[in-house]
Amino acid sequence: MNKRAAKAIIAKDIKAISSNVQLWLPMLIIPLVFSIVLPLAVVLPARFYELDRIGNLEPILKLFNQLPPGRLRATLFALDSVNQQYIYLTINYLFAPFFLLIPLMAASVIGANSFAGEKERKTLETLLFAPLELKTLFGAKILAAFLPACFLTLACSFLYGTIVNLAAYPLFQRIIFPEGNWLLLILWVTPAVSLGAVLINVFISAKVKGFQEAYQLGCLVILPILGLFVAQLAGVFLVNSLFLCWLGAAVWIIDFFALKAGSRFLNRDQLFTSQVS
Amino acid sequence: MEQTVIRLEKVAKAFAGVPVINDLSFTVRKGEILGFLGPNGSGKTTTIRLLNGVIAADAGQITVAGFDPVTAGNEVRKRCGVLTESAAFYEPMTALENLLFFAELYGVKRPKARAEELLAICGLQEAAHKKVAVFSTGMKKRLGIAKALLHRPEILFLDEPATGLDPEGARSLMAYIKELNRASGVTIVLATHQLKQVEELCHRFLFLDRGRLLEIGTFRELAGKYLTSISLQVETDLTISGSQFKGFPIENRLPGSLQFRLERKEQIPLLLKELLAVGPVYSCTIQGYDLESLYFRIKEEKA
Repeated sequence: MNKRAAKAIIAKDIKAISSNVQLWLPMLIIPLVFSIVLPLAVVLPARFYELDRIGNLEPILKLFNQLPPGRLRATLFALDSVNQQYIYLTINYLFAPFFLLIPLMAASVIGANSFAGEKERKTLETLLFAPLELKTLFGAKILAAFLPACFLTLACSFLYGTIVNLAAYPLFQRIIFPEGNWLLLILWVTPAVSLGAVLINVFISAKVKGFQEAYQLGCLVILPILGLFVAQLAGVFLVNSLFLCWLGAAVWIIDFFALKAGSRFLNRDQLFTSQVS
Repeated sequence: MEQTVIRLEKVAKAFAGVPVINDLSFTVRKGEILGFLGPNGSGKTTTIRLLNGVIAADAGQITVAGFDPVTAGNEVRKRCGVLTESAAFYEPMTALENLLFFAELYGVKRPKARAEELLAICGLQEAAHKKVAVFSTGMKKRLGIAKALLHRPEILFLDEPATGLDPEGARSLMAYIKELNRASGVTIVLATHQLKQVEELCHRFLFLDRGRLLEIGTFRELAGKYLTSISLQVETDLTISGSQFKGFPIENRLPGSLQFRLERKEQIPLLLKELLAVGPVYSCTIQGYDLESLYFRIKEEKA
């Protein structure tokens, strides 16, 4: 890989994202809702109202009782009130899939914009005339989407943690976030998922004609994450550390093979003919 | 012996089954400016793409600077600069930022100094820090030339470089191309359908039509072959009756001038000598002895 060229493409792409409000604003609004609005919507009512007096707590209590024996169940049942249990479980476990959505959305928007965006701006032709291996071009495009997606997830997690701990501290008198599973989620699973989403989107982007088409197709990768969230709420299973270890490992392996398979299809003639001619 | 830097042998290319280049063979010599002429859709741009290895030929052999553009594409692209009609720049970036970006892709040494040098040469020094989005067509074209020259290429492909330029812009661009070729010996392939602009510039001309080579050669060689008779318009007060003067056929009579049909250029001084012997001659102009006439003549005979 031509490192000098790759660095230039990554810097150019990241600058293009940061200077394009239409691109980064939608990418930022939802993560901010996940990081600020949702935790406050959970913590503040539970701090000021007794949940068991409000009623309709049966589904939550049922979820607590369904928890398998182990550290989480023990931690949860050692807490003083239903309010604390509700906050602890929701913040540390139920919201976890949202933080898989953040890098997925970011990776989808940026990845879809990579080749299709170059084509729409008619700059892909100029790039393909440069003495640049396609591996360098694809590698740089992948990193240009992967790095901002990971950075956004890390920044949102930090913000989420700060908001949660500040808002919940008066009730718990201690820091409740992050649990060990969050570190696994943020440092092991989200990079793998981001890379997968980027790969899918970049390769779709290199095949389709425009950004909109690439983005719509690429967004399909969000569906399994939504399934994960629904499954948690339904009490089917919980995103615990073991699950995250296996999930991360599986996604990294899929990424590896997707990268191998994708790079075999890199062909300047095919890319130029389908995207430029 | 003149060195060949580009060689095509029986090259063919089709898109979706429609032939675009047919059995195309020609060579380009080191240091020459080749006028690559043909109407829109004749295959000029496709040939430039094939020569740079961004698309692959269906048949035939191509060598550019000693390399196969498909198997050693980057070696070719390192040695070639390209200005295409459809390629664009990053509009939210300034001219200097665009050049610095491409300088990184081409591995240019001292990129900032080189970019600033080229911006000055191309008359864009004052627009260096302006976003390309606000550039006129002419400014974008000049920036395209600067980008094509960034890495000091051995071969320069210019695809319709003067399209969208005003007459002054087109003239100064052609003068710059000529100077560049003279000073650095860079080989230039100049694809255009604007014949008047390149008549004085190119050493040889290649005529292409529907992907087929019609002719290639210097103007003198091709004119000798196709422009077998010339028309000479003479500004004079003489009144001559009859269909000829001293054996030279009169083609047309206009107020204050006569138009003669001559078989070859060498007859011009003989005719003028005879005319001056009987009256005044104020000026004379050769008609139909230019690139445009040659182009239409070749098309008429070969297309």
